[in-house]
Amino acid sequence: MKIICVVKFVPDVGNMAWDFENNAMTCENIRACKNSRVILNPDDACALGFALQVKANNPDCFIEIVSMGPLSVRPHMEDLLRLGVDRGSLICDPLFDGSDTFATGEVLARYISTRSFDCVLTGSLSLDRGTSHVPVQLAETLCLDQMLGIIRIDLNRFDTTRAVFEVEDDNSVTTYEMAMPSILSVTRESGYKLPYIKLKDMQRDVSDELVIISNRDLCFLETELVPMGSFLENAGTSLQTYDKKKRRVVLNDEEGITSVFNFLKQRGFL
Amino acid sequence: MDKKRIIENLGKIVTPSQININSEDLYDASADRYKKYAKVRRVLDVPMPAAIVYPGSAGEVSRILAFCNEYELNVIPRAGKTATEGGLENWKENTIVVDALHLDKILNIDIYNMQATVQAGVPLQKLEDELRKKGFTAGHSPQSKPVAKFGGLVATRSIGQFSTLYGGIEEMVVGLECVFPDGHISRIKNVARRSGGPDIRHIAIGNEGALCYITEVTVKIFRYYPENNRFYGYLVKDVETGIKVLREVMVNGFRPSVARTYSEEDAAQHFYHFHKNRCVLLFMAEGPQGIVQATCQAIEDAVEKFKDGMIEQVDSSLIEKWFNNLNWSQKDIDDEFEEMKRSDSHAGFTTEISADWETIPKIYNNVIQRIKQEYPRAHDLTMLGGHSSHSYINGTNMYFVYNYHIRCEPEDEMRVYHHPLQRIIVEETLKLGGSMCHHHGIGKFRNEWTMEEHGSAYYMLEKLKNVFDPRGIMNFGTIYPQEEGVKYQK
Repeated sequence: MKIICVVKFVPDVGNMAWDFENNAMTCENIRACKNSRVILNPDDACALGFALQVKANNPDCFIEIVSMGPLSVRPHMEDLLRLGVDRGSLICDPLFDGSDTFATGEVLARYISTRSFDCVLTGSLSLDRGTSHVPVQLAETLCLDQMLGIIRIDLNRFDTTRAVFEVEDDNSVTTYEMAMPSILSVTRESGYKLPYIKLKDMQRDVSDELVIISNRDLCFLETELVPMGSFLENAGTSLQTYDKKKRRVVLNDEEGITSVFNFLKQRGFL
Repeated sequence: MDKKRIIENLGKIVTPSQININSEDLYDASADRYKKYAKVRRVLDVPMPAAIVYPGSAGEVSRILAFCNEYELNVIPRAGKTATEGGLENWKENTIVVDALHLDKILNIDIYNMQATVQAGVPLQKLEDELRKKGFTAGHSPQSKPVAKFGGLVATRSIGQFSTLYGGIEEMVVGLECVFPDGHISRIKNVARRSGGPDIRHIAIGNEGALCYITEVTVKIFRYYPENNRFYGYLVKDVETGIKVLREVMVNGFRPSVARTYSEEDAAQHFYHFHKNRCVLLFMAEGPQGIVQATCQAIEDAVEKFKDGMIEQVDSSLIEKWFNNLNWSQKDIDDEFEEMKRSDSHAGFTTEISADWETIPKIYNNVIQRIKQEYPRAHDLTMLGGHSSHSYINGTNMYFVYNYHIRCEPEDEMRVYHHPLQRIIVEETLKLGGSMCHHHGIGKFRNEWTMEEHGSAYYMLEKLKNVFDPRGIMNFGTIYPQEEGVKYQK
């Protein structure tokens, strides 16, 4: 099985510097990827976490991570390779600098269309809010089915032909089955976690497994990308923070047991 | 001797209620805050002690130590449990932790002679509360004040946030009682000054439990003048400018109780409400009104002299408010532990060094540059900065502060992150003639540089160990490098 994980490195909002004079994030930070204070988008990390679970069960599974960003994210890409990802593709070219989400979707789609795959995994939302619709645009351009908001994928029913997964909305959890290839977008609510890098792999040279893709490979005309940006305009930027979930303690009594039962049922565990 | 027999023998010295063999407490006693993350994640790689013992008198401490000495059992003295450098970490299978829990009495507050005598297990906060009722203060205020106890404070040569005025603990201790491994109890009398040979207080002060067990301490006390407190805060263009202003105030003979300079990064995490991505310089002046007025004038003059590097003055009430909420309590420690259970992160680490005025900015810049250039996990750093917070007429300290995303297994965290960062800081400091530890003590993880720290004077340190602890039972691995402990370090 071949899985492509589309990932993005975003500003770490927990450590964001704020430009008080201009009432904006500092230049270094807003351009996520120009400085080192970036993290793997949490939803994307969950998607990759699931892919690595698949690989743990089936070592023949081939995982490729694809990201669009500056060369400075290279150490972060290398860390993902040290987790067991087979190939990393970093799409990086001055022509793509400042691409809006539409252009980003087009660039990613053109590269992915050159690769063979059974499934594309992505995160659902982006921590920096700017590009949460890239997975949808990818699906549109690649003519694939796509689903956002996935909280669980059934490992036993995830193969080259179909995927069975659950999606949560405000009121319910719904189970879907989708034919492959398709694009599955996972949320951080899924709880899939990246494994830790093993101590022996911390310094492992993975440079051979990381490929830099430039426009020489993708052959966009300059005029092709620039007008795309005109469809979208960034009205403003704000910091996204996630509220800590309230902890609720229940007793080992009838009410507590019912409460836990309902919670597990609502989340689809029962 | 196996653990069962150790406990049986301890039962002949103290009552059963003074011996703790609860497995959870023993796990907790295996390491201190140095390995806080590994401890929370239940992956500590060190042995658990055989027991924690709570002596109620110097006599009981004497009998416990003599027993351990006879059978070569490792002893870890403990009081307060706020150690951050591995001083309370256990590296031996047969270890007794001797905790000052029951040495908890304030023995005397002598207002006329301005000194107070306490047992080793008295929390600093408890004495401070008693002194405040009478209009006095201990003058010692480490961030751990709500939790720390006198035995630990003295044994580690601790320092408080008002040290620039009151001095470190070594300047406050006028006398003490301590017990040596052979069971001998020494009392150093309380006098204003003496010239009776070398100052033997300093054999006990800062011994980190590697030479003796401190059971009682007498410290100076000071009149408390909260109504005179004055605060100053400034945004400054860089660390060097801030340090120049600190120096100007100090070398002119003034002693504000607080004098600090923060790098941009460190300021951002402390002063989120006003830092504006700049370095922060702050002062607090306290004491009698006339002295406060003179100190304030000196601060204002120093700021004026370096006005080209000053960006703006900060509302002093913000500094006061920040300072009043700076200490961490047991709840803060517990909260951090809870958070570490849930996430691959913690509240960060520090390494504190000192040097003269000329050298401190060089060390700071060298360290920051080296970490950014050499450290292979630099992309995991979420914070790297520092502040100077304790100044003297001839120099100051630098408190390097750093944090990071933890990408490795919890048991590897120190090897991957903290150790390599600390190594760079220590190497750069020693290279330029500074001291690798300003106030946390050496503990067990900087002992590989103890000889380099002391140079030819290590001879004296080594002789002290040979004379007072010839069988090496006191806090194995602390201060003194040990081959057997390397496996826990690297």
